Amino acid sequence: MGLFDRVFRGSAEMYAKAEAELTAAISELGESAPMKMPDTAYFLSCIYAFLGKKVTTLGELRDALAEIQSKMTTNQRLKDVFTSGIGTAMAAEVIEATKYARTPTPYDGTDYHGHFSDAEVRELGVPLVTRDIPGFVVIIDPAPTDEEAVALIKGYQARGIFVFLIGGVIDQALRGGISMGFPVRVVPVGPDIWAVGHIISLVERAAMIFGAVTPGDWEAFTEYSFHRIFAFVNAFSPVSDITVACGGGAIAMGFPVITNDKDDMWAVPKSLIIQPDTTDFIETSLEARDIKIKVTNIDIPVAFSTAFEGEIIRKKDMRVDINGARQDCFELVRSRATQDVEDHKIILDGPDIDKFPEGGAMNLAVIVDVYGKNMQSDFEPVFERKFHSFLNCVEGIMHTGQRDIIRIRVSNAAFEAGFRAKHFGEVLYSKIKSEYEAVVDKCQVTIVTDAAKLKELRAEANIAYDKRDMRLQSMTDETVEVFYNCILCQSFSPSHVCIVTPERLGLCGAVSWLDAKATNELDPNGPCQVVTKKRPIDERTGAFEDVNEAVQKYSHGALEQVTLYSILEDPMTSCGCFECICGIEPASNGVSIVNREHTGITPLGMTFSEMASMTGGGVQTPGFMGHGKHFIASKKFLKAEGGIARIVWMPKALKDTVRDRLNKTAKELYGIDDFVDMIADEEVAEDAEALLEFLAEKGHPVLAMEPLF
Amino acid sequence: MNTPLKLTTIEEMEADQARLRETACSVCAETYEDRVKAQTPHCKFGEDGVCCKNCSMGPCRITPKAPRGICGADAHAIAARNYVRSIAAGTSSHSDHAREILHVLKGASREGNYQIRDEIKLARLATEWGVPTEGRDIYDVAHDVADVGLLEFGKPDGFQLFTKRATEERQELWEKEDIKPRAIDREVVTAMHMTHMGNSADAEALVRQGLRMSLANGWGGSMIGTEITDILFGTPTVWTTEGNLGVLEADYVNVVVHGHDPAFSEMLVTACEDRELIEYARSKGAKGINVVGLCCTANEIAMRHGVRMAGNFLQQENVVLTGAVEMMCVDIQCIFPALASLSKCFHTKFVTSSPIARIPGSEYVEFKPETAFQQAKDLVREAIDNYENRDPAKLYIPPTKQTATVGYPTEQIIKHLDNVTNSHVEVIGTYRPVIDAIKAGVLRGAVAIVGCNNPRVRPDYSHMEIMKELIANDILIVATGCAAQMATKAGLLNKDAKYVCGDGLRRVCELVDIPPILHMGACVDISRMMLLATGIAKDWGVGITQIPVVGCAPEWMSEKAVSIANYVVSTGLDVYLGIEPQVKGSSQMMEIITEGTRKITGAGYIINTDPHELVKSIIDGIEAKRAALGI
Repeated sequence: MGLFDRVFRGSAEMYAKAEAELTAAISELGESAPMKMPDTAYFLSCIYAFLGKKVTTLGELRDALAEIQSKMTTNQRLKDVFTSGIGTAMAAEVIEATKYARTPTPYDGTDYHGHFSDAEVRELGVPLVTRDIPGFVVIIDPAPTDEEAVALIKGYQARGIFVFLIGGVIDQALRGGISMGFPVRVVPVGPDIWAVGHIISLVERAAMIFGAVTPGDWEAFTEYSFHRIFAFVNAFSPVSDITVACGGGAIAMGFPVITNDKDDMWAVPKSLIIQPDTTDFIETSLEARDIKIKVTNIDIPVAFSTAFEGEIIRKKDMRVDINGARQDCFELVRSRATQDVEDHKIILDGPDIDKFPEGGAMNLAVIVDVYGKNMQSDFEPVFERKFHSFLNCVEGIMHTGQRDIIRIRVSNAAFEAGFRAKHFGEVLYSKIKSEYEAVVDKCQVTIVTDAAKLKELRAEANIAYDKRDMRLQSMTDETVEVFYNCILCQSFSPSHVCIVTPERLGLCGAVSWLDAKATNELDPNGPCQVVTKKRPIDERTGAFEDVNEAVQKYSHGALEQVTLYSILEDPMTSCGCFECICGIEPASNGVSIVNREHTGITPLGMTFSEMASMTGGGVQTPGFMGHGKHFIASKKFLKAEGGIARIVWMPKALKDTVRDRLNKTAKELYGIDDFVDMIADEEVAEDAEALLEFLAEKGHPVLAMEPLF
Repeated sequence: MNTPLKLTTIEEMEADQARLRETACSVCAETYEDRVKAQTPHCKFGEDGVCCKNCSMGPCRITPKAPRGICGADAHAIAARNYVRSIAAGTSSHSDHAREILHVLKGASREGNYQIRDEIKLARLATEWGVPTEGRDIYDVAHDVADVGLLEFGKPDGFQLFTKRATEERQELWEKEDIKPRAIDREVVTAMHMTHMGNSADAEALVRQGLRMSLANGWGGSMIGTEITDILFGTPTVWTTEGNLGVLEADYVNVVVHGHDPAFSEMLVTACEDRELIEYARSKGAKGINVVGLCCTANEIAMRHGVRMAGNFLQQENVVLTGAVEMMCVDIQCIFPALASLSKCFHTKFVTSSPIARIPGSEYVEFKPETAFQQAKDLVREAIDNYENRDPAKLYIPPTKQTATVGYPTEQIIKHLDNVTNSHVEVIGTYRPVIDAIKAGVLRGAVAIVGCNNPRVRPDYSHMEIMKELIANDILIVATGCAAQMATKAGLLNKDAKYVCGDGLRRVCELVDIPPILHMGACVDISRMMLLATGIAKDWGVGITQIPVVGCAPEWMSEKAVSIANYVVSTGLDVYLGIEPQVKGSSQMMEIITEGTRKITGAGYIINTDPHELVKSIIDGIEAKRAALGI
């Protein structure tokens, strides 16, 4: 039987299953029963994306399924394979959706992840852009042996590839003791092939969130995933018709399928690759999808990969705990004269990890001295802030915080593998040299663990931090000569442009004005370019002719003008990977801010996902604005609308994160003490009525402000 | 999803032509359209191929009342003789062109006007032909290779050397059917002899000689021409260029090169890039020199230099009618003698250069390899001097043009396919990727569309309709000659033409980074297509007649096309014709060319003057071949 016929047969099989499941669900729950996937503003995303239909009830789902069937045509042309294949993915989504029609948590108590939330999709934005996640693999069905499955998954993990597992390979991973979950980028999606519906849903939401692709524009969705989502499939023998049909959909979206099944299988260049040698799956797959892995060879005894960034090390697995809150610990980057830096010199001053009690505390400071002809002291904090992600990528190391409030845990496993203090130096040396090669000529790392010396050194470090803070504080939008744009996200969000200023960092939270400046110095033709600010139009809203010109140029004409300080008048756009979304709360004349991690409802009657879906993809939506957490305490936050006094609601956790700085800004701007306590949170109000009551009780300044509209 | 590409329609092309006809009227010039009217209706006996004027007893014309000529030859004998004489003329044209190029190779030297540009190809050919290369100067090798090539025309024994490139099956079949081509000149002479009064009257025997002679063209003359041209001027590579009348520039000195032999045009292109001459043009008030190609010369220089293409065969008068052409330089084949009188209505200088194509009223500058570059420079200078004679009142350049990506000889096709090969499971340097795509059904097959355009039908329309329908059905097209130029004018050589393809071909275009129609060169380069089909059959491991690859000449007109159609059929590929061969007066001949040759070569003609019916039969034919292969 030909390849096309296998797709058509598998597609019909998936449809039959979907129809049966849906009929059962309808007879059990009724046609008008609500149909909602949890934590998403994009309905059943595959159906929403490809058919433009917002399914909210089982009855509507039945209508959608009829339309899906109409796409499953069977002429001997690739077009029919593509529409049948995507129809198969949609039918898979229907099957999975019927589970969620019964309960929002059908996979609770199982090993399976099931549906992905919008927050999870958005979380992928930044690592995708930076290529920290160079691609995605969907592994279907069991590998020939458990060992091969484990090797394959770990191999992908070591290369930073995000791994989705479907079917028997999940059991193999469990038996192999692989730790799984969204944060470690190995996700056991579901036991059956229809779990692909969740993965395609994630892909299509990425297209809507980051690419602003219009629901219903079938071709635009496949173009987006073909050109911007570097995914591929590994399907193990024997591959069933239904999997072949899903493969047809994957290939339609631009995702090649690599299989070891030779029977009744047809090779198609760069699309369907028959690789009998499963040990060569990884390299074959990466070549098929044109994924080039940036290799950093670091001389350490454990693995180094972005996949380990989300690794948690629990107390019982911990060899030592380095805790700046309890001991004298800190990290510092210093720019030095050439004679003071010896390249690749790593000095350990004090006892090594093995001299500290097992499971106990250890003090440690990391001082990185750099020299470079083009080095500027302004780059010191830029490098220093990257320590977190550099060290976190080490397998068996967990890193949080910065400066002298760092917390580092070294796992027993890493220690057993031979990880010692000098390896912190190796990691930082390699990463700083490779990522900042344009400005760093020499780099030397000193690790100090001698408690006696650390007190004094920490005091010295604090002087350096204070000096930097003074400089940062003196740096305002008015005092700097230029701003920068950032179009790092354009690989996913082609028409979005960030304007980064000292008082407004990029909405992803990852690019401050200094970062942008450093990026520009490192790569003068790269994603961050100088934007002059010589021709102001309106100081209140932060409108500049030069900024508008830059936005027009870098959005390729998609955007005409933006303001830097207003949410209502030409607000800045978002790519979709913003840390927070801020939306007007009309009853109070204020704004609610919600961070990505918060899944609950806001007084706007919307969740983060729902608010977030109002903007993103480079689309300007007055009244909604994506931004970084740090922007909240800026004096420029909603300056045009009266500033931070407009903030009436934030989740408690977010309040705690920004409390000190926000209080300080409020004091300076309005002379108000403890302003954050006047802001409501989910504990006091989740609707407008309770919110107003709370604000009145606290005497929130917004009540005395001009109406927004 | 927006499709950024706007194809140029036939109606738009016709509107441009109509506007230029107004210019023609205003200067009292006639064009081919006037002459078509004057010649209509055409002579029925000629059309049917049943007029014999091979001796002075005649002419004899066959009618129901007079079923035999004076000598007794019937309609079948007469039609077959005329048909074979067409093949002889076509074979002679391509082959004599090749012989000229061989002489250029023989005269090539490091210091001379012509040098070796593709040494690797030369070395490969030398090895293939048994010319020693070890430790030798490449020019010595080149001259020996030229000698071997020249012998292919007149050697007393043996067969065409390039036939060894064919599949084993073809070589055996050609031998078994006694159509393996001997020396090129011999095949033509034999054909002329056989068709002389009082010789062959057996239609099948005559057609068999036609097949053998055509093979001496496709696997002889044409292939030699292509190979040697690559050695001298470089194997073509991919270029992005433009096509249609809009490539003529109002503010520049426009030099048009027209014909088929690149030896002349290569020199003119180089001369037009001469700094001194460009300065001279500027001193005369022009912005520079704009050299553009016409007909197959355009194809040759577009894929070697990216030179823009003004149009195909029937565009030759339109180019002059723009009033913007300072000089039209022609070499050989497909040149309207009408250009001489037409150019006199304008300031255009009409320069002929080959003793093969002498045209009254032209300025004749016989081109000699020894003095080629100086002659070219002199001509360009003359063109520049002519710029001031341009009459602004007669100037109108239709702005229509399209972007085209051209230059896909087999070497480039392989290179592009290598890019989609997975090095972990496949080897590079083969046609495997395209075979896999065909086997899986992503591509349904491939069609070589070739040939001229022809006022016997609505010009270019058949090309357009057939091409659009094929690519919409996931059938890859390779094109040469005026068919490729038509695709250029339409915009079908633009990579964005993927948006008018079926999803399968579109995906192939995206992955391989090609337009859906691959420009393989001039009409002499149909030999490249034979090697392409042969390579596919070899890599597939099936017979060439089995692969879903066919040829199509929707609007052919020249005798070269008759010769080509015969060697394509002899190579084992069906040929779909949109113009009837002039043998209709013989039922036997109609049977032989459509069915009879199938018993000999496994392929034949499918003829239909309705392009929509023809393209349907192509698709059906390809699907039938797929079904027979079980795919």
